[in-house]
Amino acid sequence: MKEITLRVFRYRPETEAEPTFQEYAVPLRDDWAVLDALNYVKEEIDPTLSYRWSCRMGICGSCGMTVNGDPKLSCGTFLVDHAPGPITVEPLRNFPVIRDLVIEMTDFMQKLGAVQPWIIRDESDDDPHTELLQTPSEMDDYKRYSMCINCMLCYSACPVYGLDSKFIGPAAIALAQRYNLDSRDEGQEERLDVLSDDEGVWGCTFVGECTRACPKGVDPAGAIQRAKLIAANEAVKAFLLPRWVR
Amino acid sequence: MATRIERHHYDVVVIGAGGAGLRAAIEARLAGKKTAIISKSLFGKAHTVMAEGGAAAAMGNVNSRDNWMVHYRDTMRGGKFLNNFRMAELHAKESPSRIWELETYGALFDRTKDGKISQRNFGGHEYPRLAHVGDRTGLELIRTLQQKIVSLQQEDKREFGDYEARIRVFQETTITELLLDGNKVAGAFGYYRESGEFVLFEAPAIVLATGGVGKSYKVTSNSWEYTGDGHALALRSGATLINMEFLQFHPTGMVWPPSVKGILVTESVRGDGGVLKNSTGKRFMFDYVPDVFRKQYAETEEEADRWYTDPDNNRRPPELLPRDEVARAINSEVKAGRGSPAGGVFLDVSTRMSADVIRKRLPSMYHQFKELADVDITKQAMEVGPTCHYVMGGVEVDPDTAAAAGTVQGLFAAGEVSGGMHGSNRLGGNSLSDLLVFGKRAGEHAASYADALTARPKVSTRDLETAVETALAPLERDGGENPYTLQQELQTVMGDLVGIIRRKGELEDSLVRLAELRDRVAKVSATGGRKYNPGWHLALDLRNMLVVSECTAKAALEREESRGGHTREDFPTMRPDWRRVNLVCSLDGDKVRLEHKPVPRMRAELIQLFDRAELAKYLTDEELAEFDALAEEAK
Repeated sequence: MKEITLRVFRYRPETEAEPTFQEYAVPLRDDWAVLDALNYVKEEIDPTLSYRWSCRMGICGSCGMTVNGDPKLSCGTFLVDHAPGPITVEPLRNFPVIRDLVIEMTDFMQKLGAVQPWIIRDESDDDPHTELLQTPSEMDDYKRYSMCINCMLCYSACPVYGLDSKFIGPAAIALAQRYNLDSRDEGQEERLDVLSDDEGVWGCTFVGECTRACPKGVDPAGAIQRAKLIAANEAVKAFLLPRWVR
Repeated sequence: MATRIERHHYDVVVIGAGGAGLRAAIEARLAGKKTAIISKSLFGKAHTVMAEGGAAAAMGNVNSRDNWMVHYRDTMRGGKFLNNFRMAELHAKESPSRIWELETYGALFDRTKDGKISQRNFGGHEYPRLAHVGDRTGLELIRTLQQKIVSLQQEDKREFGDYEARIRVFQETTITELLLDGNKVAGAFGYYRESGEFVLFEAPAIVLATGGVGKSYKVTSNSWEYTGDGHALALRSGATLINMEFLQFHPTGMVWPPSVKGILVTESVRGDGGVLKNSTGKRFMFDYVPDVFRKQYAETEEEADRWYTDPDNNRRPPELLPRDEVARAINSEVKAGRGSPAGGVFLDVSTRMSADVIRKRLPSMYHQFKELADVDITKQAMEVGPTCHYVMGGVEVDPDTAAAAGTVQGLFAAGEVSGGMHGSNRLGGNSLSDLLVFGKRAGEHAASYADALTARPKVSTRDLETAVETALAPLERDGGENPYTLQQELQTVMGDLVGIIRRKGELEDSLVRLAELRDRVAKVSATGGRKYNPGWHLALDLRNMLVVSECTAKAALEREESRGGHTREDFPTMRPDWRRVNLVCSLDGDKVRLEHKPVPRMRAELIQLFDRAELAKYLTDEELAEFDALAEEAK
């Protein structure tokens, strides 16, 4: 069988001061994704290789890596598309590396909380006996922003986040918009302070890399543009009107 | 002791961060308990995320005839009347509230024209019943629960100045032992996957929500986490497992390409109109409608097709039979030489719906086949075959409180790791609702159990030392076998000898092979150190997979009939006397003990929800006579 070379980023902080690259020859099978090749390496060649994965079907968002320079889900990136190789596999960029291909991503969980990704209503019912009504077209308004699988590919692609990790970032802003645009939600104003901060939507220079990187078609760049409009309108209102009529 | 162990104190520790675990943790935290969530993988990546079809709840939004009684009947039928009736009752009654509640947390659902939550058809459900969002319902459910937990953490930050004051997630952490004080739960011991450092959670109440056991099979929709940890932890702490012979082989897993074999193709494909065909182009499911379901399913393709638009005047297509029936039918077609090139059958939507509708209704499936198999499902049929998907068996629990049966106190179980709710076969869509209903109950009752204790159980130093030694053993041992080799052998034994169709001789053989494997696993060694070393992790998981597999094989050998997710070639029919029996596994030292225990009897008002003619297919003459006496009394 034909083979292809994987050039894999290795970093074991307890024994190595600097990361290195290690090459593995793996079978070049038509149906193998990069993840299949890594599993082959682990089971047949080198059990010490560390990386994350779970579902194998592009929905859990665990197996994001940098493949030949681009942020990708390794379960959906095929060897044949990068033949004859070699294929360079590195951890996602813009994150601290824990070990080999495993990154530290707790920063995102804090950012996620900051945009209050839940339905905020003035009056909430703890024991509901029916649903809140929402028409299909009202749902279509925000549905695409709800497809996020928290895979961090957009943060890895984002040049602004790369320079300033305080930038709240594409997925969190898209998530804020998912709720701002939800007809059942009344919390837009509460989210505005975070979004209109310097590290919020105004940090984005609109290069659109996030939307290109997203494996689920969420379009964070579009969400950020919409959020900028809202923030700008609110800023004008805030300038003209006292707080109680805003 | 030389080894460093990080210690934490909690009121309630929830092991597992899928839907059941997160829902339980939310409830325990809302009850004011200091709660920890232990997640084997990253927070938000649990197996629930892969659920596609939806959550069954009789809200009656699409067909107003639906109500909890219809849902209850469907669930009992699907499980071939072996279900714990009380669990099925609570599940049917409480599912709608759990869905509406989830909406207040922020969940998004597909909608009907008038703005209500839309519901879709699924196998075994009489009316459209599954609340869903496209074919990625599990993702929405896990994301919503995850974000609810974040919102609770923000409340705590405001009140106590600390996000993690009352609810904290320990991700990439595996529990290897539960520690007891007498019969009472005292704590849970495990390790951080990343650093390999040990951690002890001292807590009087523990909720198991660890999911299933599918990684004991090669062809499975389950991911690496599914090694039966909770089942094994329960056994080792004195709890009992029931129904372990019943495994659900989902009828439609991908069969090609080989690298993705087993990955799920959602039942929504059939619910929305997809049909199954063999290599001759025949819709073969019409040949496989069993007697017990004869009246409810269409006999001609014309009637079946009319049902999608006029369900009140036509019967449903046989593609929508419960999963066990469809999986067996596919297996038979392939065996008879009428399979697809890759050894499955064809599942076709391309001739049934327009490309636009397919992409809108089944977006994840469209992408999954496009990306993984280079198949455009709007133009071509999919190739599918059975894949190990779900274990009906699990921890025997009290239906109302989710407390584990057996000798242990303070242990609760919810979701796939618990047993009884689904009987011998689970209906699609009943899993997401199960984990919400019983996750909530487990959290609530774990909290009140902790409240009622007068003294906190204590972890003994000796037990802790033993737990450390057991965990370190594979690393300190030289010359043992590689854990990956042993896992592959286990998968071969289970797949070949304890698979969809079972025979006495093979089951006996499997027990011999499992005993050999047990000796070899006792000597397994892992190379490398403690930091992020999956070989070591697997070495520790293997002992769980083995003991749980032994329960399955033993119970499968014992049950001499075919029912739901247990098919015996040598005993091909259902037998009413076996319907009254639960097979219960416990540990006696390190040996699996198997006992017969009566299935709890349905209350009068519940059994009277069924027709006598239907009951006659399942019950013994003695039970039917009792039913007749009840009916007489009611007159």
